[in-house]
Amino acid sequence: MKTGKQRALYVLQNFLLIIYAVFALFPLIWMVLISFKSDTEVFTTTFIFHPTLANYQEVLLRSDYARYILDSVIVSGGAVLVSIIVGVPAAYALARYSFPRKEELAFQILSYKFAPEILVVLPLFMIYQKMGLYDSYVGLIWVYQLISLPLLIWVVRGYFEDISVEIEYAAQVDGYSWYQIFFKMLVPLIKPGLVSSALLAFIFAWNSFTFPLILSSNKVYPVTVAIMKYLGTDSAHYGQLAVASTVSALPAMIFALCIQKHLVRGLSFGAVKG
Amino acid sequence: MARIQLENVKKSFGKVQALDGVTLEVKDKEFYVLFGPAGAGKTTILNCIAGIVMPEEGMVKFDDEVMNLVDPAHRNVAMVFENYALYPQMTVYDNMASALRSKLYKTDEDKIKEKVLWAAKIMKMENLLERLPSQLSNGQKQRVAMGRALVRTPNVFLMDEPLAHLDAKLRNSMRTELKEMQANLGSTCIYVTHDFMEAMALGDRIAIINEGKIVQIGTSDEIYYMPCNEFTAQLMGDPQINIINAEILGDKDGYSVSFPVKRETVTLPLPKDDRVYDVIRVDGLKQVDFGIRPQNVKYSFEPKEGYFKTTVYSYESIGNKSVISAECGDFLHYQLRMIAPNGLNVEIDSDIYLRFEMDHVILFDPETKEYIVRYDEAGIQALSDQTAAANA
Repeated sequence: MKTGKQRALYVLQNFLLIIYAVFALFPLIWMVLISFKSDTEVFTTTFIFHPTLANYQEVLLRSDYARYILDSVIVSGGAVLVSIIVGVPAAYALARYSFPRKEELAFQILSYKFAPEILVVLPLFMIYQKMGLYDSYVGLIWVYQLISLPLLIWVVRGYFEDISVEIEYAAQVDGYSWYQIFFKMLVPLIKPGLVSSALLAFIFAWNSFTFPLILSSNKVYPVTVAIMKYLGTDSAHYGQLAVASTVSALPAMIFALCIQKHLVRGLSFGAVKG
Repeated sequence: MARIQLENVKKSFGKVQALDGVTLEVKDKEFYVLFGPAGAGKTTILNCIAGIVMPEEGMVKFDDEVMNLVDPAHRNVAMVFENYALYPQMTVYDNMASALRSKLYKTDEDKIKEKVLWAAKIMKMENLLERLPSQLSNGQKQRVAMGRALVRTPNVFLMDEPLAHLDAKLRNSMRTELKEMQANLGSTCIYVTHDFMEAMALGDRIAIINEGKIVQIGTSDEIYYMPCNEFTAQLMGDPQINIINAEILGDKDGYSVSFPVKRETVTLPLPKDDRVYDVIRVDGLKQVDFGIRPQNVKYSFEPKEGYFKTTVYSYESIGNKSVISAECGDFLHYQLRMIAPNGLNVEIDSDIYLRFEMDHVILFDPETKEYIVRYDEAGIQALSDQTAAANA
C-alpha cells in the first residue's frame, strides 16, 4: 500500500507533468487551430470560430507546396543516405582499428555539431558560389552531413564497440569472408542504433533552416524555407503559414511516434550483451 | 586432421612481448594441452594457429605447409573462444549451424540438422536449441560454443578454456566426454587451460607456458614427477609442492640436507640412491632447493622418532581431504603444506611433528631454479615412456 506521503508526491509529479505538457503542446495546438481559421478570425483568442479548409486549399492545391516537401524529402533523405554509406564504415574503423590520433579525429567529427550553423554558413556560401554547388541538391546534401554524420558515427561507433571482436574472429574461423561477416553478423547487431540515429538525423536535417536559407534559392526549396513565402512583405497570411507549418511538422511527428520506443532504447542502450 | 607446428613464433602487442620464440609440434590426433598462468600467452598461441593474430616472426605450419599468409576462413580450424563469442542475433541452433552454412563449408540442411542434434546431445542441451544466447547462463553459452566447434571436421580443434565456466559436476562429466570424443573423432586438439587437473587428465602431452615462452613439454607424468624447474613444479599440484632451501652436508657415504626450522636447524639424511649421490658428488653441490609434495610430508601430534617439531599455521578443508600448513620460519615466513584427513581437531599454533619421505624428493638449483635430479628418476622415466607408448 502506498502511504499518504507517497500518494501526495505522485499527484504532485503528475500535476507538474501535466502543466509541462500543456506548456509544450499549446503552441502546436494553437498552430493547428489557426490553420482552420479564416484570416479575419486569426487574431481572436477564443476557441470558438468558424472552421474552414480554405487555407489548406490555398496552400496544398494552389501553391508549389508539394514541390517544397519533395525537395525536403530529397535533401534530407539524401543526406541521411550518404551519412549511412559513409558513416557506418567510418564508425567501424573508429571502433575497431587503432591508428594515430584516432580519438582526435573522432572528436573532430563530433565537434562539427558544436559550431553554430550561422558561424560557418557565410564562408560556405562563398565557397559554394565558386564551386557551383549553390542552390543544388548535391550542395545541400553535402552540407547536411554536418548535421547528420557526427550523430550517426557516434551512435553506431558505440554499437560496434559493444560487439566483442571475438564474434568477428569466430565468424572468420567459421569460414566467412569479411564482407559476409559485416553484412550477416554485424549489421543486424548495429541495426537498432543505425535506425534510430538515422531517423533522428533525418528529423534534424528536415528541420534545418539556416543552411537552406543561405545556400539555396529557387531551384532547391526545402519546406522550412518555403514557409516564409507565406509571410509576404505587405501582408501576412497567418492561416496559410499555419497550414504550411503543420503539414511540414507531420513527417517528423509521425516518425517520432512510430519509433518512439526504439528511439530511446536505440540511443541509450548498448547493442548486445552476448 | 593435421599436424601443427610452430617454429620460433614471436608476437608483441605494443611493448608487451606476448610470444617470445615459441616452438612446438602437435602430432596428428594428439590431445595437446597448453597450460600456464594467466597472461602467459596461451590464447595468443591459439590465435596464431587460427590465423586471427599474425606472428611477427616464425612459421605456423599445418602438415609441413606454411600457413602464415592463409586467412582464418581457409585454415579450416574450429575454435572455442573463452568468452564464447556466440552470435547474439541467432538461436543456439543457428549458432551451431553457422559454420556449415558458410560458402566455404557448405553442407545441406539435413546433414546440418543431424550434426547439430548430435553435438547438442553430447553437450546435453537439446532443450536449448531454440533459445537466443542472451537467454542462456554462462555455462550453457560455453556448451553452445563447444557445440559450434564440434559440428565441424576441422584440421584442428582449438579450445580456449572451454570448461572454465561450467559447474563442477558438469565439468567433470564433460572432461571425460571430451577425452573420449577426441579419441573417437581422431582429431587433433589443442586445449588451453589454467586448471592443472584438467591439464593432467586430458593432455596426451602438456606444454607449460610462462611469459610467452615454452617452459617444458611432456606427458603429464613427466611434468608432474620431473618438472624442469621450480615454476613448473609449483604450477602442477594442489596444494603446492613445498620447496625448501637447504645445505648439503656429509660425503659420498651418506649425504644429508640441513635447513632451519623455527630457531633450530634440522638435518635429514638423504637415502642412498646411486643417481642422486652421483649428481651431488660430481657437481659438488653445497646448496639445493629441495621440493617435496604435500602427500610425502607425514605428521604427528605426538613427538616421534625421526620427526621434527614445529607449529600449526592453518588447517583447511579442500573437499575430501584437508591441508595443514605448518609454520617453519622464524624471521622469514615459510610454511610447509601437507595432506590430512578431514575432521581432525587441530588447534592453530599447537605443536606438530613432521617427517619427510625423503625418497620422493626433487632437487633444484637454488640459483637458476632448474631441475637437478630426483629420486627414482629411471623408474619415472620408464613409466612416462610407457604411457607415451600407450598413447601412440
